[in-house]
Amino acid sequence: MNEKMSSIYRSVSKPGRYTGGEFGQIVKDKQGIKARWAFCFPDSYEIGLSNLGVQILYGVLNRESDVWCERAYTPWPDMQERMKEYNLPLCAHESGDPLNEFDIVGFTLQYEMCYTNVLNMLKLSGIPLRAEDRGEEDPIIIGGGPCAYNPEPVADFFDCFSIGEGEESLVAFTRLYIKMKDEGTYTRKAFLHEAAKLGQGIYVPSLYDVTYNENGTVKAYTRVYDDIPEKVTKCIIKDMNTAFYPENVVVPNIEAVQERIMLEVYRGCIRGCRFCQAGMIYRPVREKTADVLCKQAKCLYENTGFEEISLSSLSISDYSQLPELTEGLIDWSDKNMINLSLPSLRVDSFTKELMDKVKSVRSSSLTFAPEAGTQRLRDVINKNVSEEDLLRAVNVAFDAGKTMVKLYFMMGHPTETLEDLDGIAELAQKVLDTFYRNPNRNRAKAPQVTISVACFVPKPFTPFQWEAQDTIAMLEEKQSYLASKITNKKIKYNFHDANVSHIEAVLAKGDRRLSRALELAAEEGFMFDAWTEYFNYEKWVDVIKRAGLDPEFYANRKAGDDEIFPWDVIDCGVDKSFLARERNKAYNAETTKCCKEACSGCGANKLGGERTWCPNSSNQLK
Amino acid sequence: MVSEFIKSVKVKQNTDANCYVKFGLKPLEAPKTVRIRFSKTGSLQYISHLDLQRLWSRALVRAGIPLWYTQGFNPHAKMVFALPLPVGVESRCELLDVRIDREIPCEDIKELLNSELTDELCVLDVYYPQSKFADISSAEYNIELSSINASESLVEKINDFFASDEILMVKHTKSGEKEINIARLIHSFRAEYRQDGVIAMNTKLSAGTESLNPEFLINALRKYGVLAPASLTEESYSIVRTKVYNINGEEYF
Repeated sequence: MNEKMSSIYRSVSKPGRYTGGEFGQIVKDKQGIKARWAFCFPDSYEIGLSNLGVQILYGVLNRESDVWCERAYTPWPDMQERMKEYNLPLCAHESGDPLNEFDIVGFTLQYEMCYTNVLNMLKLSGIPLRAEDRGEEDPIIIGGGPCAYNPEPVADFFDCFSIGEGEESLVAFTRLYIKMKDEGTYTRKAFLHEAAKLGQGIYVPSLYDVTYNENGTVKAYTRVYDDIPEKVTKCIIKDMNTAFYPENVVVPNIEAVQERIMLEVYRGCIRGCRFCQAGMIYRPVREKTADVLCKQAKCLYENTGFEEISLSSLSISDYSQLPELTEGLIDWSDKNMINLSLPSLRVDSFTKELMDKVKSVRSSSLTFAPEAGTQRLRDVINKNVSEEDLLRAVNVAFDAGKTMVKLYFMMGHPTETLEDLDGIAELAQKVLDTFYRNPNRNRAKAPQVTISVACFVPKPFTPFQWEAQDTIAMLEEKQSYLASKITNKKIKYNFHDANVSHIEAVLAKGDRRLSRALELAAEEGFMFDAWTEYFNYEKWVDVIKRAGLDPEFYANRKAGDDEIFPWDVIDCGVDKSFLARERNKAYNAETTKCCKEACSGCGANKLGGERTWCPNSSNQLK
Repeated sequence: MVSEFIKSVKVKQNTDANCYVKFGLKPLEAPKTVRIRFSKTGSLQYISHLDLQRLWSRALVRAGIPLWYTQGFNPHAKMVFALPLPVGVESRCELLDVRIDREIPCEDIKELLNSELTDELCVLDVYYPQSKFADISSAEYNIELSSINASESLVEKINDFFASDEILMVKHTKSGEKEINIARLIHSFRAEYRQDGVIAMNTKLSAGTESLNPEFLINALRKYGVLAPASLTEESYSIVRTKVYNINGEEYF
C-alpha cells in the first residue's frame, strides 16, 4: 500500500495536496473518540486549506476530548482517475481512513458552483448521494456556510444543515449524537428529529414537505412534526470576544491561496448594500474588542509563523476600534517584519493617515469597489460612495507613488441603463485623468486602471431577491457595449463569463426540484465547476432540462411581491418586510443610512448580540 | 490520504512569546551565518523547493530564531539552501544557511527548531559553517527499486548500462529542450540484487554547478528499454540523498 501510494503520488500533479502531515494538524488516538468528524471542503486543497470557517470549526470540534475532526478536500481530476483505477476511496487527511467510516461528514458550502464537487466527493466515498438512501451505517451528512441559507437545490443530498454560526451549534449537535449513542437511543431518524428540536439552527429537510403551485413557485413548506420549528432560525454567537477562536491552524506544506493569519475582526456589516447577501445574513454586527484581537493575532503568529496578517471582515474601516487595533498591532508587526493587510477598505475611508500608518496599505495594490458607474445606480444599490470619494481616495494613492488601481463593478443591476455602463467607462477615465492631474504622481511608470466587471446575481435574503438576472444574451451585449466604450490602452477591462453567472443564479434561487438536475450532473461526472477549465454551460442546460426544469424560471424571472421563496423556510434574522422596503427604495434610487448613523429596523436585533450597533442592545457601540 | 507516513503533531500550549525571548538575546556586532543540516523525508518528499523555503521561513519564525533581515524596501530573512532537492526525493543531508543577528547557542537553535517541526523535517545539526556551498561537487543517492521483474540478470543489465560513456537524455529547461549526456554526470554507480525483490542502487551524481536529478537514471533505464515502462502496480521506487561531497571526494558539511 505504501509503495503503491508513492507510485501514485509520483504520477499526479502537486502530490503534496494529498499527503497530509502539515504542522498544526490534529492527530488523536482513536481510542476514546466517540464521534469522528470529517470536515470536507468541496474544492481543491489549496483553496480549502485557507478557509477561515473550516479552521474555526476544526479547532472547536477538536477541543472536545472525545471528538476527532479531520479534513478532506476534492482530489484533483488526475488523482481521481488513479483512485478509480485502483479502487481507492476518498480518505481524510489526518488518519487516512475512508470517509464512509466516519460518524459525521460535514461540507462547507461557500459557492453554488461547488455543489457538484460535494456530490463528487460523496461518490468517491461510496456514500449514497440521496439522504433517503442512506442506512444506519452511513455517516450523517451535514452542510453549512453561506449557501446553506438557500440549501434547497442540494437539500435531498443532505441529512441536515447548520444554519448560521457553528462554533456552539455544531458542538451541541455532536454532543447530542454522542449522548444518543451512549444511551442506545440513536437511530438516524430519531437523531435528526432531536437535532431539529435543539434550537441550534439545524434544518432537517426531510422533516419539511414542499408543495408547489401550478406556476411552479413554492406553495408551502410544511413541517412533518409539531415539535420542530416552522422556520429554522439561524444560530449566532452573541459575544465574539468569548467565542472560540483557534490559537493554532493547519499550516500548509504546499502553496495555498491565502498564506496569512486571518484575524476575524467582527461579524456582520452596517452598510446594507442591496445586492450583498453577506451583509444581510451575518447581521447583526458583533465586534471583538481590540485587546482581544491583538492577543489572538500574536498567538496565531507564534503558532504558525505566517508573516502576514489579514484583518478580515466585510468592511474593515467600519470597525469602531480600528485606530486602537492598528495602534496595538503596528509596533509589534513592524518589529517582527509582519505585513499588516487591510482588505475590504471602503473608498471613503482610504485616507493619507491610514496609508502612512499601515505599511502594507502603502505597498499593496489598491482595489476599490464602486460597483456601479453612476451615482443614480450607486444609490439604487445603496452603495453610498460618491465620485468625489473615489477620486479623493485614488489621489491619496497617487500621492504616495502608486500607479495601479483596480476597480470592481457589476453589471445587470435592477434599473440599469446603458447610461450606467457609460458611467463605468467614464469613471475609469476620470481616475486616469486624476492621475495625470496629480502633481506628486510617479512619473517613472505608466498608470494602469483595471476594471473588473462581474454579472449581478440576485441572491436570497437580499432586497434584490425578487429580481431577475439579465439573460445571458443581454449580459453579453452589455459586455461588448462596455468594451466598445473603453478605448484608452491604459484601461484594462476584465469581465466574468455570463454563462457561469447564469447557472450560479439558477442554483442561488433554486428549489428542491433541482436536485434531480444535480443528480444527473453527478452521473455525468461534473466536477470543479468553479474552474473555467471544467465548467461546461451546454452540459448544465442539458441536465437541467432533462430534470424537467427551465433554468430561466429560476434565474431570469422576476418574482411576484407575495411569492414564497424556497429559502423562506429559513430565518436569517432580517425580516422579509425590511427587504421589501429596501427594494422599493431602490426603485426610487433612495439610499438607506448605515447602522452607525441610524437604525433601519431590519429585525436582526431580535437575535441579540454583544457590541453591536443595534439600539438598546447591551454594550451597544457608539 | 496517507496514514503510513510518520507525522507528529506539534501544538503549542502556551502563548509565551518565543519572539519576545528573541528580542531579549544579546545583539551581535555583525550578523553571523549558521548552517542547519536537516532531513526531509516521508510525505515532505512531495513538496517542491519553493514550498520548502516557505516551510522553513515559518518554522524559523515559530521557533523565535533571531533572524537578520535585509535592509531596503522589502526586508526579508537571508536563507540559502546548498542544493535544490527534486520532488520525490528524500534526503538525510540537506543544508541551509541562515543569518542571525543575536547571540544564541547552536544547540538551542536545534532544539527550538525541532520543537516546531514535524518528524519529517528534522534538524540533525546546527553549526558555524567552515565551507562555502560552491565547494559542493557531488551527491550520493540510494535508490531502491522494487519490481516483480527484479532479478540478478536485470541487475547485471543495469550495471552494464550505467558503465557506458554516453547516455543521451532530454532535459527540459526554461529556454527549451536540450539533449545532454548524463553519463558524464554519473561519478559512480553500483546496483545490487536484494532477496526481497528489491534492486538497491548506490550512485554518486554531479551536484552544485551542474546537478543531475537522480530520477533521470530511472527514466534512462526506461527510455533505453532496460526497465519496462512504468507500472503503478508492478513497480515502485524510492530515492534518498544520503551524503554530499566536495571536489576532493571528501564528505561535505
